[in-house]
Amino acid sequence: MNAFQFSDLISFSSLMSTLGTATIVILAGLGCLMTEKAGMMNIGLDGIITGSGFVAAVVSWAADSWALGLLAALATGLILGLFYGVMVIRLKSDEFVIGVTLNMFLIALSTFLYRSLPAEANGLHVTEGTGMPIPKISLSMGSSNPINISILVPVALILVAVCQVFLYRTRHGFWLRAAGEHPESLQSVGRSPAKMKYMASLACGAFCGMAGAYLLNYVDGFSEGFSASRGYIAVACVIFGRSNPLLVTLAALFFGLVDTVGQRLQVFGVVDSNLTAAFPYAGTILMMIVLAVYNKARKPKRKAETAEAVK
Amino acid sequence: MSNQPIQPIVEFSHISMQFPGVLANDDVSLSIMPGEVFALVGENGAGKSTLMNILFGINTPSAGTITVKGKTYKSLTSAQAIGLGIGMVHQHFMLVPSFSVAQNIVLGDEPQRGILYDLREAKRITEKLVAEYGLEVPPDEPVKNLSVGLQQRVEILKTLHRGAEILILDEPTAVLTPQETDELFDVIRGIVRDRGMTVIIITHKLGEVMAISNRVGVLRHGRLAGVYETADVDERKLASLMVGKDVLLGLLERNQREQPIPEEPAISVRNLTVRDNRGLEAVRGMSFDVHRGEIVGIAGVEGNGQSELVEAVTGMRAIRDGEVYVFGKKINRLSPGKIRKLGLSHVPEDRLATGVAAQADITENLVIGKHRRWPFSVLRVHMRGGPARRYARKLSGEFDIRSAGVGTEVGSLSGGNMQKVVVAREFSFDTQALVIAQPTRGVDIGATDFFHQRIMDKRNQGCAILLVSADLDELYRLSDRMLTVYEGRITGEFDPATAPREEVGRCMMGADQAQDSKTTVNEASDG
Amino acid sequence: MKWKERGIYLLSLLISIVLGLGVGALLMLATGHDPIEGYTAMVNGALGSKWDADTILKNSELGNTLYRSTLLIITGLATAVASDAGLFNVGGQGQMCLGALVGAYLGAELTTILPFTAGWPVWLLIVVCFLAATLAGAIYALIPALMKVRLNISEVVSTILLNSVALTFCTYMSNGPLKAQGKGTQTAAILKDLEFTRFFKPSNLSQAVFIAAGMALVVWYLMSRTTFGYEMRMAGRNSRFAKFSGLKASTLAVTGMVISGALCGALGMLEVFGWKHRYAVDLSTDFYWDGMLVAMIMRYKPLGIILMSFFFGILKSGAIRMQSSTGISPELIQVIQAIIIFFMAAEQGMILRFRTWRARRHPQHEEVISA
Repeated sequence: MNAFQFSDLISFSSLMSTLGTATIVILAGLGCLMTEKAGMMNIGLDGIITGSGFVAAVVSWAADSWALGLLAALATGLILGLFYGVMVIRLKSDEFVIGVTLNMFLIALSTFLYRSLPAEANGLHVTEGTGMPIPKISLSMGSSNPINISILVPVALILVAVCQVFLYRTRHGFWLRAAGEHPESLQSVGRSPAKMKYMASLACGAFCGMAGAYLLNYVDGFSEGFSASRGYIAVACVIFGRSNPLLVTLAALFFGLVDTVGQRLQVFGVVDSNLTAAFPYAGTILMMIVLAVYNKARKPKRKAETAEAVK
Repeated sequence: MSNQPIQPIVEFSHISMQFPGVLANDDVSLSIMPGEVFALVGENGAGKSTLMNILFGINTPSAGTITVKGKTYKSLTSAQAIGLGIGMVHQHFMLVPSFSVAQNIVLGDEPQRGILYDLREAKRITEKLVAEYGLEVPPDEPVKNLSVGLQQRVEILKTLHRGAEILILDEPTAVLTPQETDELFDVIRGIVRDRGMTVIIITHKLGEVMAISNRVGVLRHGRLAGVYETADVDERKLASLMVGKDVLLGLLERNQREQPIPEEPAISVRNLTVRDNRGLEAVRGMSFDVHRGEIVGIAGVEGNGQSELVEAVTGMRAIRDGEVYVFGKKINRLSPGKIRKLGLSHVPEDRLATGVAAQADITENLVIGKHRRWPFSVLRVHMRGGPARRYARKLSGEFDIRSAGVGTEVGSLSGGNMQKVVVAREFSFDTQALVIAQPTRGVDIGATDFFHQRIMDKRNQGCAILLVSADLDELYRLSDRMLTVYEGRITGEFDPATAPREEVGRCMMGADQAQDSKTTVNEASDG
Repeated sequence: MKWKERGIYLLSLLISIVLGLGVGALLMLATGHDPIEGYTAMVNGALGSKWDADTILKNSELGNTLYRSTLLIITGLATAVASDAGLFNVGGQGQMCLGALVGAYLGAELTTILPFTAGWPVWLLIVVCFLAATLAGAIYALIPALMKVRLNISEVVSTILLNSVALTFCTYMSNGPLKAQGKGTQTAAILKDLEFTRFFKPSNLSQAVFIAAGMALVVWYLMSRTTFGYEMRMAGRNSRFAKFSGLKASTLAVTGMVISGALCGALGMLEVFGWKHRYAVDLSTDFYWDGMLVAMIMRYKPLGIILMSFFFGILKSGAIRMQSSTGISPELIQVIQAIIIFFMAAEQGMILRFRTWRARRHPQHEEVISA
């Protein structure tokens, strides 16, 4: 067994690994962010990820096609997003209750269906690389071994930019934010806030659907409750990314980094694997606390400055 | 400004509007002529805003039709209304706080450049509008940083940008000073004269009706009680039409103080400095006293530190500098509960946010503060439901709280009844000092009179009352002394019996009080 | 008015339950099972067949159902206490795990690490373990509560994350420092004397049920009949109003959350002492979610939670028999529960839409609401 060296943590492969784990959180975070901006934050991300991941697993196995699997995941996400929208926008249910219930519902339902699958669907059960072979691209840097990453990783990064531009440089982005911040004002200029909210909620579904497909590919197969609270980590990232796509991405990358560090430490036997599993969660909590304390200390001053500037 | 009836520009025909449980408009038929200023008056809940929301496409009427420029509709959407040249400035502004002025003005109709939003063009449009109408606004500033008056200006520009020919103003002067109101009226007269616009103004201030309108329509309980040429009616007539009986706010019985002012004031504020939520100094070195048996009114445009002053005195906000004494005890670091124990009650300005727990029932809202005393609890622990309900019923009777029973959720009550719950609770504590903020906001005339009577009774019983209100009439009616505040400073002290309104208005705008109108003042003007 | 609302509520609850069970039946059909067979197995598995006086104590199915119901009652009340105080405790699972771990550790080692306790009577040792577990749960709930009131960090997110932390931590402890010699991932067994007596053997029901019932009673009383419960409710509904009225709003909110965590911690210890006798990874703590769902369905009303827990207790404990005899996975119950919540959550919106529609149709049907 190699001796553990800190420098092992800072390597190209670590970077890629960080990006790899973070991508799930980035995608789910972007979805959550859209609903947050539209004033109806969806915390049912885990459910949608698990549900669409399950559908993707079944479809890609049955049709033997990753593309169909991905499409199925997106479609599932859209349907679930629509469901969330109808519950919250049309039927005015509490968004937290619906989010939490959505998680429990979909995790239980996918587990139930998964166990009811015929025996020949066993391909889904094991991690034999039968998950969903989304094409990978090979990257290398310097002398290191080339590393394969899913094409969804660059897609996710492009989507971050798309979201940023959408929210702050297009009229629909402005309407979406207006729908969240002050829906009446949007209504009064003849644009429908409900439409924007549905749009956000569908986008959230689609993003989480993609996250589900990616996760399926990333962990090589479906297993019960396989999103492992990553959806909630995405929610946390949205909260301390102050709902800005770039900041949310940074937060997600931080999560990925902590996760990677945990895994590396475990590989080198420095820390027990059961303990490193707690890293991303504990790290996220700590980051939330640190940022909240920092913001609290800084806020009055900054606001005072801008306000003075106006006068 | 002639209003020769050629063809009405807007015509409501047998409009009814049914909300769940409430018939807000009942068979209203009304015509608005092009180029006139039409005032729509009525008490709160008379259906004025509902009727205008129907015209603006926010509400869909249950029955009846609307004819705009000769075309008849069963209902309108906001988009249609805008297309027809209807613009509305709502009582609660329809502005997105974090968007800039320019972004708000073009909202919903953003200039495009390819698939992207052309932010620069938005700014250019705003600058052009500003130049055209002479209504100065800073285009790049987020709306949340603007004063209320400026925000209203943004709202008007927004409707003008949409090519509005019919402008609806919903209670536009509620938050303005007399001077700002005059400016607004000048703007209205200008756009009517120069551009032939039609203006519908919703208000319940009858003086303003007389000042600005050509015609006036009165709504009462959702029905149209009459339409008149303004020149043919007076305020008394309108008021009786509004409430359906011949009441005008008359004089209240005010005891003359028998004994001289006691040495020790009930509430004493010394060089008080308080910061607002943004961290800015909202109250800057205020000093004044409130003695027992007097009402001290604080007059000022909203947002000049009144809310923060009230919160500081009642312990809801940290005191930055200076001192506040309640019955001689310094309360700088005391919690609201401790201050209450010193004998201070408080009617807050925002009853829904602060004054009640909307999801709790009337009993729960009335008994709080006394719930640890016999007979409401045994040994301060075990709650007894029966006595609490009986007590709530008794108070409901005394304060005329109308509900289906004391088990009703407070959130389902009307504004006036909710305020009665707050007042009933706060006035039933055995306290000798009261801080009252905006007691009659959103309350109809009948209930307003009731509250005024109660406040005056308290004063006559020897209570010290600090009254903050945006309604100058209310302050004139109740106060023994009036202080004007501007940007967190006291700018003047007046005796309501003699003070001219223009002078008070000037001080509300920051002018220093003229020497000759000064009464005996014990103020420290700097902080 | 109030009675009418309650009537509507009960009616919609009934309809929701029927619909939930209906969807459950459809799912059974879709996965190739016979719903009648499934539900029959469930009911039989929950209630057993031995109901006459002689044999009822051997009715282990009934015993298990009561045991399940107790768990639901406590977890449901735990959710309700926090929610009354205005916080949403989604972290019950973690608090329960820690309580169980602490209870199991002390149950096994207390007399070793603190030798002076060796001579103490059994009941006192149990009380010590109980209190320690309660404290563990309470402290673990204090963290997110403080994060909420001091830093305004959403307690939903923080408690969920803390769940994962606690679960992995407990797994680590039972597989590392506290691992029993020569066993899998589990701690050493608690002292034989400390085990609760079981009845309805071989069910999991034990004396713990009395303690749990006592806890439920205390919590119910606290929530609905004391000044403290009243103050907490006011603080939860409008904390600014509570502060304005002289209550210590954030302290009350924190207290509610801490009580919630304490209940969960205690429950974890009871599970260990009454059933497993050690901390092991397969200790079922995920039923916190079920209890939470029950509380949500019953809108956090203590009495309603207690009653509804028996209904779901039947479903939960019957599900195990259903699985063994028909192969239907017990997750179905959670699916049914979630569907009931969806319907209940949508209920108010639907009623509102219906009323608007009716009012528009027949304006003469004007209902006079409270002025």
